[in-house]
Amino acid sequence: ENRESMLNSKSNRLTEALEEANRLFGGVRRAREAALDAQFLVIASNIGKEKANELHSEMSAFDSTAFAEDLLTFMGINRTEVEETDDSEDVPGEFLPSDAWQKVGEEAPKYFRRAPTFHYMMGSFKSEPPVRKQRIERQKKASRGKAERAMPAQLKEMEQSHQEATEKEVERILRILQSHFENDPNTPISFFDFVIDPNLFARTVENVFHVSFLIRDGLAKIKLDEDDLPIIEPVKPSEGGEEDSRAAARNQVVISLDQKEWK
Amino acid sequence: QVSELVQFLLVKDQKKIPIKRADMLKNIIREYRNAYSEIVKRADRTLQEVFGLQLVEVDTKRHIYILINNLPHAEGQHLCRGKEKEKMGLLLVILSFIFMKGNSVKDSALWEFLHLLRVYPGKQHSVFGDVRKLVTEEFVRQKYLETTPIPLTDPPEFKFQWGPRAEKETSKRDVLNFVAKMQGKDPAFGATQFSEAEANT
Repeated sequence: ENRESMLNSKSNRLTEALEEANRLFGGVRRAREAALDAQFLVIASNIGKEKANELHSEMSAFDSTAFAEDLLTFMGINRTEVEETDDSEDVPGEFLPSDAWQKVGEEAPKYFRRAPTFHYMMGSFKSEPPVRKQRIERQKKASRGKAERAMPAQLKEMEQSHQEATEKEVERILRILQSHFENDPNTPISFFDFVIDPNLFARTVENVFHVSFLIRDGLAKIKLDEDDLPIIEPVKPSEGGEEDSRAAARNQVVISLDQKEWK
Repeated sequence: QVSELVQFLLVKDQKKIPIKRADMLKNIIREYRNAYSEIVKRADRTLQEVFGLQLVEVDTKRHIYILINNLPHAEGQHLCRGKEKEKMGLLLVILSFIFMKGNSVKDSALWEFLHLLRVYPGKQHSVFGDVRKLVTEEFVRQKYLETTPIPLTDPPEFKFQWGPRAEKETSKRDVLNFVAKMQGKDPAFGATQFSEAEANT
């Protein structure tokens, strides 16, 4: 408790305390008291060390308060005359500008041999991305965790959007087919009429692709009419039950259509 | 393997948290354990020749490394992100205080000093945020500062000293120069500190 007073270089209290402890030790009978004595010695020796330190620094006195003042000046503190007001931590009238620490920060790197922090010039889409050209290799090695999460997340997004687009298209086509049949229930549509886009061959191929999904899922069927030309019609949900769908032949048909034919 | 290790070290160094040998072995070297020291040696050479950096072991028992700059103190603009520079400024001030006070200070003494600079452990600082955390955790983890508890103190007190990274990245002489510059005095003014700084070069 009396640490501070013991530290005072002028005081002999530490010596006095040690002498008293010595005396008391003679009367020690129990282990607990001896333990206390040992504790006391540890504390005393720490204080002694601190005193020795103080001695040392007193020789070339370092005035930390003055140093602090010098630092504040360097930081650009604004010292103005102020009337006596309440004592508060932030002394009113002494204004430390917002770039105070920036000033010190500008000066500081000159005293350190600090390795410049490695940053990617073009920035990154997630933290800790791989380096330069070896982007792909790196993802497997050093930045394992984060990079792996970045890659699958990206791919998943792409796949999803593909799937969605396809599904939407298939649905759209189904609706067209259905609405046509609603209007005209007894006239099946020629398959080719349905899928061919007179302007775009690619579109045609896409249409065939989407229709194939409908067939696969049993939402539409293709039959051959009298002229042996394929016609397409939607499957009514009420049509038959399981038996029917099992009975319905599942055929694999390859339709070839090239640009010449299309024309 | 070498270039992978180099890249690994550069990325790991971003936060300035020292790198453990175990991490290097686990992530990069793996099967090539036997060639470990050779790979590390070559990586160090690459770092030096290409980047002007150096791989330094700061803990020989637990094998912990840091990257430091091999080039002489660069004058002029440094590209620093975020609050890097300001933090270095605060660190430099703290290191100076510790050195000038005989290389070891009580935490209470340090905070008392920082008070004078309007930096308070219990208060959010406009630049540094949670200063207590910055000083007692971040700087310590980066090995710029070392903190040791003082035995049998209640409530527990700590002392602060220079950490191994500080010892490698700067020197007593450099820090003394900084102090002198702030005071507008000649470094030889603080006689004891000056001779100590000289002895350490």
